[in-house]
Amino acid sequence: MKSKSSPKLRPTFFDAIVVVLVAALALGSAWWFYGGLGRSGPATYIITHQGQEIARGELRQPREITVEGQYHLQIVCDGESIAVTHSDCPTQDCVRTGRATHPGQSIVCLPEQVVIKLVGSGSGPDLVIG
Amino acid sequence: MKTKYIPLLLALLLLLTGCGARQPEATRQIFAMDTVMDLYAVGEDAEALLTEAAQEINRLESLLSRTRAGSDVSILNETGTAQLSDETAALLDAALHYADITGGVFDVTIAPLVEAWNIHGENPRVLTGGEIAALLPLVGSHHLRLSGAAATLDQGCAIDLGGIAKGYASDVIARLYRDGGMTGGWISLGGNVYAHGTKPDGSFWNVAVRDPMDAAATAAMVQLSNQFAVTSGGYQRYFTAGDGTVYQHILDPKTGIPAMSDLLSVTIVCGNGTMADAYSTALYVMGEAGAVSFWSANRAEFDMILITADHRLLYTPGLAGRVTTEEGGAYEVQVLS
Amino acid sequence: MHSKTKDIALGAVLTALALGLSVMENLFPVTAAIPLPGVKLGLANIVTLFALYELGALPALTILIARCLLASLFAGNFSALLYSLMGGVLAMLVMIGLKQCRRLSVFGVSIGGAAAHNVGQIAAACITLGDTAVIGYLPVLLGVSLITGTLTGFIASLLFRAMKNVHLSH
Repeated sequence: MKSKSSPKLRPTFFDAIVVVLVAALALGSAWWFYGGLGRSGPATYIITHQGQEIARGELRQPREITVEGQYHLQIVCDGESIAVTHSDCPTQDCVRTGRATHPGQSIVCLPEQVVIKLVGSGSGPDLVIG
Repeated sequence: MKTKYIPLLLALLLLLTGCGARQPEATRQIFAMDTVMDLYAVGEDAEALLTEAAQEINRLESLLSRTRAGSDVSILNETGTAQLSDETAALLDAALHYADITGGVFDVTIAPLVEAWNIHGENPRVLTGGEIAALLPLVGSHHLRLSGAAATLDQGCAIDLGGIAKGYASDVIARLYRDGGMTGGWISLGGNVYAHGTKPDGSFWNVAVRDPMDAAATAAMVQLSNQFAVTSGGYQRYFTAGDGTVYQHILDPKTGIPAMSDLLSVTIVCGNGTMADAYSTALYVMGEAGAVSFWSANRAEFDMILITADHRLLYTPGLAGRVTTEEGGAYEVQVLS
Repeated sequence: MHSKTKDIALGAVLTALALGLSVMENLFPVTAAIPLPGVKLGLANIVTLFALYELGALPALTILIARCLLASLFAGNFSALLYSLMGGVLAMLVMIGLKQCRRLSVFGVSIGGAAAHNVGQIAAACITLGDTAVIGYLPVLLGVSLITGTLTGFIASLLFRAMKNVHLSH
């Protein structure tokens, strides 16, 4: 009779290595993504809809933006934070993400493909001429 | 998990956080050449490099200033003849070349008119037709002759390197950044910008071009790496005469009066700071049609962003993908071809 | 005894089970607690894990792909197909690899698979959104995958214990 491959059923030391590797990947990706942001200046939000930038502005200037597509998103910037206050998308992740206040944070609505990104000196101007 | 593996785990975490170490960076603000200069460098010995850069700027100012006694330029203006340093001679040679290629729209011999209008000074005034007619014959690069390092200037003429000296200084400092092995940084010498390398995350530097109609706003953002950018515009400096007429600071060497341009600003982007400085002024004076045809004839040399008085923002295809403007902004965006 | 019919029937049962689990887990959205797109318990992964050990790599992969296709059909949401396929296939590849390491228990394989699933989903999100902003979620999702991976691994271990003396296809 062919013996079926019977897995080990109790955690072993080698499982811990997998755990450490995954944790390392988490920390590594966190550093890669957030580490380069560096000094945070006044935050700027960039909103893209299906890959196209539809709005950009400074977080300290209050503004309301609506995204109309298959679903409808109400985005409110209150001068200190930006949030999706209402959406009729099925997942509601964008609304539940809550408020974004710091450079590096982002709010994503996958069904409507909307990305709200807060950037610091990273994508705002580094210097001004003229 | 057995406790003896904990140090191993910690070592691994430490290794990861070690990657976060940043390169040293330094900033410096210098007041020189009648303007404010901001410098920012990222790399080993950034602080020492900026000290050297500040010394270079002071050295250049003492060579090129029209107002500082004993400078190459002062000596030439006062005595009509001078044995120049190699550097000043090379810069004057470049200035003559730019005068030639722009058909005299850029001209360093414009100093007598600049002085009379005094728009940069404390007591600007509107010249009379007679005064302008008397000064115009003194303007023209044929008045300046250069033979190696020996320069002569005709009687009554004077040169002003204000339209090119900061650009040249940006070239010198850019070379310092490169030779000093800086990985990133930028300089802004009173609007003459050089963006070096990249940001720590590998992206290009974002240079905002000011909105000529709203000083607090940005008309466009351009991404630069190892390139120079200079903006010229009448809105930067001007005076209002008694009758309410606004005279902006860029003089047209052909007419002797402030340029009546249909452009609000010209931004030149290229690999040469001196050229960017000279061309930004010249193309502003040329106006939209002149600037576009000048670019068409010299398109390999530079890219540009023009902002017109009728609210259009034009840029050259070489900047495609690197220029961003706000949608629904004040300007209608067009790409030149 | 080896029966093709039995294999097909077993595959169908497991696919249906996986489908049931993934529908069931939509009733308890983890995103209510952790509001990030793509956070899931990954209960269907128990079936994948089980199929991998009991039937082998190829049948397990077939069941996985069938489950993804059917789930997106049921949900009427084809944009989600790319996410589940990229996540699922990457998780499968990693689990096949980890399974080769005989010293790993079902926990290690499960956690590795859960982490790979999230990496695949993030990659899919980067592609569809054309934006790397979602990578910001990866650290959190990986952290969560440690928990969900352990949980599914634990459930799978109970399952294997219960099935110890049952021979499904051999």
